[in-house]
Amino acid sequence: MAHLNPDQFVDIAEGVVADTDVPHLATCVECRRQLADVRAVISETAFAEAGAAPEPSPLFWNQLSARVRDAVAEDTASTRSWRERLLRPHVLVPSFAGMLAAAMFVLLHRGVLLAPPPPPATSQVSALAAAPLPGAAAPASLPALELSLPPLGDANDPQLDLVADYGDTLGWDEMRDEIALSAPAASSDAVVGALSADERRELQRLLADEMAQPAVPENRS
Amino acid sequence: MWALPVPAVRTGELALDELDESQLVTACLAGRAGAFDLIVERHRRPVYQLCYRFVGNHEDASDLSQDVFLRAYRGLKSFRGGSSLATWLYRIAVNVCLNRVAVKKPVLENIDARQYVDTDRESQVDRVLRKERGVQVRAAIAQLPPKQRATLVLRMYQELSHEEIAQVLGSSVGAVKANFFHALGNLKKILGAQDLT
Repeated sequence: MAHLNPDQFVDIAEGVVADTDVPHLATCVECRRQLADVRAVISETAFAEAGAAPEPSPLFWNQLSARVRDAVAEDTASTRSWRERLLRPHVLVPSFAGMLAAAMFVLLHRGVLLAPPPPPATSQVSALAAAPLPGAAAPASLPALELSLPPLGDANDPQLDLVADYGDTLGWDEMRDEIALSAPAASSDAVVGALSADERRELQRLLADEMAQPAVPENRS
Repeated sequence: MWALPVPAVRTGELALDELDESQLVTACLAGRAGAFDLIVERHRRPVYQLCYRFVGNHEDASDLSQDVFLRAYRGLKSFRGGSSLATWLYRIAVNVCLNRVAVKKPVLENIDARQYVDTDRESQVDRVLRKERGVQVRAAIAQLPPKQRATLVLRMYQELSHEEIAQVLGSSVGAVKANFFHALGNLKKILGAQDLT
């Protein structure tokens, strides 16, 4: 005959089922021994803790209630919903402005990003620059996005068109005001002072070239 | 969405102490002042005692009790009324306690630091023996695996039925009885069979 299972042991030990209702107990020494152990542990545990239930000071209960009340109030104050926080003006306005700026940026650059790739460079200099150095590893292929962008300053660069469009619609003074292009006095001296000898020579050459050009009557204002 | 049955009587028309559990929860969710205070007042003692059984000292039991009620407040919307509020709070308390004892070994309080509800009938010697044995039993219970420990505490000290314990622990009655049986077996091994028979 099968031994008793844990359910039966617990039910018999707790008195839910009488010993006499389980005939197996009368014939099985092992189950009787195990049942006696279960009863002994229950009795021991109950005896050891009987009357030893912790009873704090009567004042403790009100203190506990007050602590809970404070914790709930603090939690309520600090866990406002994100919607509520987002709708506050000092959060909403900068967020909206940021999203608007991002949208404008994407719109303005969409033409650049979607522009067809420029024709391959054919000049000798470009070919020379593109050729790998002897013994050097072949350059890794560029990501598709970079390939679609023309080189900076290329004749087909749509960014230049954008600048030209702005230039046609704005006067110089107006543009300077728009982009806050101004320099403090003596700043040019400071910039020139920071140039290296080679850079100064190049600057001199550029200025000399510029001054050698015939004067053009100013027609922008 | 809050799914408690709509109370037949509008909770706003009754004094808080006249409300039953589900009405009290509804009042609390409706923002009625003092409703949650009353829930705390009704259940703080058993929650504290359960926490004490797990951690064995007053300070931690106080902190855990506060944590239990704070979590209950946060999760009140999820209380469906399928079990009693007490059972639901016990479930939170057991989870909080098991999480705590998993990261911090309980520091059992010295028996002299505790206040007892003593019976005048037992002799001084018996009282001392029982207190000493209580310390040994608590230390042994602290060594039980979490589910066995929770089952034993809820059954022996909180006096919940096996069905209620199954609701608290989210398991079957059979599993609860098996846990209880194995907890008793392990306790016997820890305490030493020679002292029990």
